[in-house]
Amino acid sequence: MKRTLPAALLALSLAVVAGCDGSGGGGDADQANAATGPITIWLSNNQEELAWGKAMVESWNGQHADQKITAQEIPAGKSSEEVIGAAITAGNAPCLIWNTAPAAIPQFQKQGGLVALDSFDGGAQYIADRTGDTAEQYKSPDGKFYQLPWKSNPVRIIYNKDIFAKAGLDPEKPALATYDEFLTAARKIKSSGAAQAAIYPAPSSEFFQSWFDFYPLFAAETDGNQLVKDNKAQFNTPQGQAVAGFWKTLYDEGLAPKEMYNGDSFADKKAAMAIVGPWAIKVYGDKVKWGTVPVPTSTGKPADQIKTFSDAKNVAMYSACQNRATAWEVIKFATSQEQDGKLLDATGQMPLRKDLQTAYPDYFSKNAAYTPFAEQAARTVEVPNVPNSVAIWQAFRDAYSESVIFGKTPVADAFTGAAEKVDQLASGS
Amino acid sequence: MRRWPNVVRYFLLFLGALIFLFPFYYMLIGSLQSSPDTSVKGAFPTSGLTLDNYKDINERVDLLGSLVNSGIFTGGVLLGTVVFGTVAGYALARLQWRGRGVLFALVLLVQVIPFQLLLIPLYVLIVRGYGLADNYLGMILPFAINTTAVFVFRQFFLQLPDDLFAAARLDGAGEVRILWSVALPLVRPALLTAVLLTFIGPWNEFLWPFLVTKDADLQPLAVSLANYISNVSARAANPFGAILAGACVLAAPAVALFIAFQRQFISSDIGSGVKG
Amino acid sequence: MTTAAPAATKRNRAAGLLGRHPVGMILAAPYAVYLAVIFAYPFGFSVWMSFHDYFFAAPGAVVDHPFVGLDNYKAALTDPAVGQAFKNIVIFLVINVPLTTGLALVLAVALNRVVHARTFLRVSFYVPYVTASVAVVGVWLFLFNSGGLVNSLLGPLAPDPSWLVNEGWAMPVIAFFVTWKQLGFFILLYLAALQNVPNALYEQASVDGANGWQKFWSVTVPAVRSSTALVVILALITGANLFTEPYLLTGGGGPNGASASPVLIMYQRGIQQGEPDFAAALGVILVLGTLVVAYINRRFIEGRD
Repeated sequence: MKRTLPAALLALSLAVVAGCDGSGGGGDADQANAATGPITIWLSNNQEELAWGKAMVESWNGQHADQKITAQEIPAGKSSEEVIGAAITAGNAPCLIWNTAPAAIPQFQKQGGLVALDSFDGGAQYIADRTGDTAEQYKSPDGKFYQLPWKSNPVRIIYNKDIFAKAGLDPEKPALATYDEFLTAARKIKSSGAAQAAIYPAPSSEFFQSWFDFYPLFAAETDGNQLVKDNKAQFNTPQGQAVAGFWKTLYDEGLAPKEMYNGDSFADKKAAMAIVGPWAIKVYGDKVKWGTVPVPTSTGKPADQIKTFSDAKNVAMYSACQNRATAWEVIKFATSQEQDGKLLDATGQMPLRKDLQTAYPDYFSKNAAYTPFAEQAARTVEVPNVPNSVAIWQAFRDAYSESVIFGKTPVADAFTGAAEKVDQLASGS
Repeated sequence: MRRWPNVVRYFLLFLGALIFLFPFYYMLIGSLQSSPDTSVKGAFPTSGLTLDNYKDINERVDLLGSLVNSGIFTGGVLLGTVVFGTVAGYALARLQWRGRGVLFALVLLVQVIPFQLLLIPLYVLIVRGYGLADNYLGMILPFAINTTAVFVFRQFFLQLPDDLFAAARLDGAGEVRILWSVALPLVRPALLTAVLLTFIGPWNEFLWPFLVTKDADLQPLAVSLANYISNVSARAANPFGAILAGACVLAAPAVALFIAFQRQFISSDIGSGVKG
Repeated sequence: MTTAAPAATKRNRAAGLLGRHPVGMILAAPYAVYLAVIFAYPFGFSVWMSFHDYFFAAPGAVVDHPFVGLDNYKAALTDPAVGQAFKNIVIFLVINVPLTTGLALVLAVALNRVVHARTFLRVSFYVPYVTASVAVVGVWLFLFNSGGLVNSLLGPLAPDPSWLVNEGWAMPVIAFFVTWKQLGFFILLYLAALQNVPNALYEQASVDGANGWQKFWSVTVPAVRSSTALVVILALITGANLFTEPYLLTGGGGPNGASASPVLIMYQRGIQQGEPDFAAALGVILVLGTLVVAYINRRFIEGRD
């Protein structure tokens, strides 16, 4: 009889868990949609964002004694998607997360972890009114919004004026519009010894790294194509290969190092250029004398036509939320013109509003450095909202790493292979 | 005749020790520099050292609170392992009972399973099944009895000579008494090895406590500092120095405790005078 | 058995049912319960998952998890990235396990007889083990990057591309890193075992005229054999479960997958990319593989008696 002890224990523990599995569930959605009361939200632990978030919560709580918000921090970096995924599965996700990456939305949605914001009265309308046409990119394949487009960090090329001067390049109006111009400048930087690297994107293989090397240039080159369109990979095209060829030249000639840099290569003056969003202005502030230009294109398109990667972070409501009416009100409160202005003020990140520059004229006249980024914010491309989004980016990154960075296989072969895989993933299999 | 090998031995040991310690020396130096210097000369700076990197951490991380949390987390695991792990190791090594083979097979199996495989099912179990989110118990539970330590205990109990146990049994001592007064004193060094081994796990564990606690007041040092290292340090005046300073702060208590504990270890293995 | 007296038969029967020392069951019970609750369920669940089309869903969501037989295993075994990862881990083990075992034993024997600077020497070898990988990885990056100290010292001898981006060197550097990091623990295991080696054996060997090396080979090595088995198995297991180092040191298994490990792929596929079924299958394959290798080693080292 004792022999069965371990088996009995196993059965018991299974039963306990199974019982809990069955009893879970978010309750009636309609009821939850109408319910008000206290809610929990997660904020990113980026210093400035956190300060904004805490102030926002305080001002909400001051007006709503019976619907208080409790705010907690989650890391802004690598592991935040894992944390959210686990919390969805365990049913203890908060009501709102103020830093949900668009690339993670398809997976969270598939998990049944998100609440469609269209299910609130005027939800879709609110998003359309606030963000304008750009909002379309954030719609899921089923036509619903599972995220509110919140803020973007449209990326541009930032360059170090001192290094450029040292390399004999014009520090005020550098010629960086075409690939040839860019490469000429890069070679000069390297050969003059002004900096160790012309540009230094992370050469590592995390799925998201392509957002800061290939993707912005791809967006510019194709006038706004996403990586995947209509379930088909878009990178295995002449434009995609032109972008890849450009980066490959940089790597082959040692103008961009193949090695990870532990730290900030631009701040440490190891690299003369970097691809950054407006957050960089606060970070590099007075440490570096810098200027910015749009990302290059093969033909040197005019600056006011160039599209780029948005690097947006959004707000999503999670299905574990009980008091969804309150959560929806909080979303609207925190993305009001007033709160968006405060966010802009505190972080320099661009609220995803259609009338950004006219809404905050004072800010942009006082902070001229942000204006190019604000202009750029009107022309951004998001990651495609398709199934298996992260797996697609990883497949692409692997092919890119193999062919462009390390030159093990010809770009055409690697991209063809990756495109097949991506087509399959995007169609949801 | 014996002197020459002795000199060689000391020379090689010191050389090895220097190689082992050098990265730590470099870490300390890097954390004190105001800007990184990778040249050979940079490893032996004569000036330009500052504490700014540490000041920056202190402003962003509640060091004392995190330290207390680390202490509770690690202490809980140590307690569980020492109390339940030793007796289990003893039962597995020295006693014949039904199910011993099954349990030992499980011990092997558990060690071989990568934690990443269990991560989410375990999280669901502990958070949803037992409701232990934002709770020290939830943090401790997956590590509560360190299986490698059980394995080490078993191994050391096995190494004790059989005659000892036969003699004690002949004297009519019960099994629990034999464990307490014969076996345990003899495996003191192993006990300390296992304590050290157990200590390292929770002290340095990042992913699990971080998943379980969203409340910053409950987070152990490794979590606060890993957060600092991955997210905040890039904004410091010298990001690399800030990372290394974070590393030093995380390493310092463990190393300090270990040095204190090491004395204990040496005196015990001299003092116990194990014969054989 | 039939010849025994009635009382003895009774005891024998009890012994047959519970074993000779039923108290062992009580002593081991808390641990057994702990294993069942904390490990058996999630592991059983992972095995189940590996035979189904599964993903983690929110509590209320209604999703279908059809049985797919061995599909996940097929997918895992035919994935080139997985093959590469297993190859990498073999390279890792071939370097790491012998190096760890040999160095740990030699250093433990040397340290055991040290009289001067005992604490300093021991602590120096243990310190890497005590420190979190998160903390020391930064320094290694600093030391081994192309402009780092190691290359400055080596000058023209430095490999090109540099260590961590060189497909041939990335895995060996990780293997050396892990050896450096873990060695202190294994030295400690050996030191504890050496305390139990009877002095009489050494004295006998001296009488027989053995020199230092001969004593090491003929007395020490056989005497600590069971610890060697432990060291080899533990080194093997930690090696097979390698994750943190490629995750942190080579930016997710770079260059170009040359330092990816099976657990890293499991983490990427299962937790980042939402394919826990694939990851579970890979995990089960890894567990089986490790068990087989561990078993062979055990036989080989312990079973020669």
